[in-house]
Amino acid sequence: MKAGAAIELGHGESNSKGIASTTASAGVNRGASILDFILRIVAFLGTLVSAIAMGTTRERLPFFTQFLQFRAEYDDLPTFTSFVVANSVVCSYLVFSLALSVFHIIRSNAKKSRIILIFFDTAMLALLMAGASAAAAIVYLAHKGNAKANWFTICQQFNAFCERISGSLIGSFVGVVVFMLLILLSAAALSKR
Amino acid sequence: MKSGGDSTTIDVEARSASKGKGPVLAVHHVKEEKGGMKRGMAIIDLVLRIGAIVAALAAAATMGTSDQNLPFFTQFFQFEASYDDMPSFQFFLIAMSLVAGYLVLSVPFSIVSIVRPHASGPRLLLLILDLVALTLATSAAGAATSIVYLAHNGNASSNWLAICNQFGDFCRNVSGAVVASFVTVVTFMFLILLSALALRKHH
Repeated sequence: MKAGAAIELGHGESNSKGIASTTASAGVNRGASILDFILRIVAFLGTLVSAIAMGTTRERLPFFTQFLQFRAEYDDLPTFTSFVVANSVVCSYLVFSLALSVFHIIRSNAKKSRIILIFFDTAMLALLMAGASAAAAIVYLAHKGNAKANWFTICQQFNAFCERISGSLIGSFVGVVVFMLLILLSAAALSKR
Repeated sequence: MKSGGDSTTIDVEARSASKGKGPVLAVHHVKEEKGGMKRGMAIIDLVLRIGAIVAALAAAATMGTSDQNLPFFTQFFQFEASYDDMPSFQFFLIAMSLVAGYLVLSVPFSIVSIVRPHASGPRLLLLILDLVALTLATSAAGAATSIVYLAHNGNASSNWLAICNQFGDFCRNVSGAVVASFVTVVTFMFLILLSALALRKHH
């Protein structure tokens, strides 16, 4: 009986401690979910701005010759088209995942939906990063050219086009960093339950 | 009283104590089962990691040895192609070597999480570092893909001609390296998902 009483005391202490730690970690998880929601909005804005900035670039020089093209548009380079498509896909995914994020604020101990969110966030991170770095490689080529392959720099003629495509990369890379933070937040919330 | 796993045991015992003394043996057995599943996931993690090492090393090696010299020359044009010529390919080589080196160094952490399935420290660390390595590998793969696409197809509007028509071997090596790096990227995605699954705490 003494052992039984000792066990009950032990249970009582650990029970209260268990409840206290659960409430504290639920509060931390709720804070993490709110931060998750805010970061998702930031990433949505970043990718939206990038897609629009890249998708609306066109420049037409006011002279022409028989042989060379004097019009530059994002359509001309398939890499830029894929950049716009990737950013648009990630943007629309973020809109849908905002709903799931709100669900996580309300119910902070959902495990399966957090795993699903981590999986899709990882896939979108890879897609966004691949599109952004492909466009970055082409922008680098446009700035510097490549002597060995006889690819000349188009930035020297098309200044405004060049500036626009270089600037639109920024929003995309901000989105990549935000996605990394989102995945970390979800994983930390998962492991703290 | 230890923290972590043992406090979980006590909590479950407390709830079952309200029904009447829950058997300690059954709780311990449940905890060992959960440990078995986490251990299985850690073993799959190790196997995938070794596969990713192979893929990343293959990508870096294929890109690094992709030189090609054509057997004729003129006064004006260059007739050798090497990964050195494109900064994107240099970045690809450096990035894939870094990723391969990180993967080799992360194998001990993976073994630790096999031996101790309930420790969440190594798993969280692996998840964070895997995330960074995924981003690095994806950026290398994406940049190299765009250059390889240009090399295959050229671009009429900016008068960039397709160099693959002359340098067939170089083109094939470089394209193979890009494919291997995408295999690494997909493997990393599965590794991150496995780490996230194994990090769940069951109450």
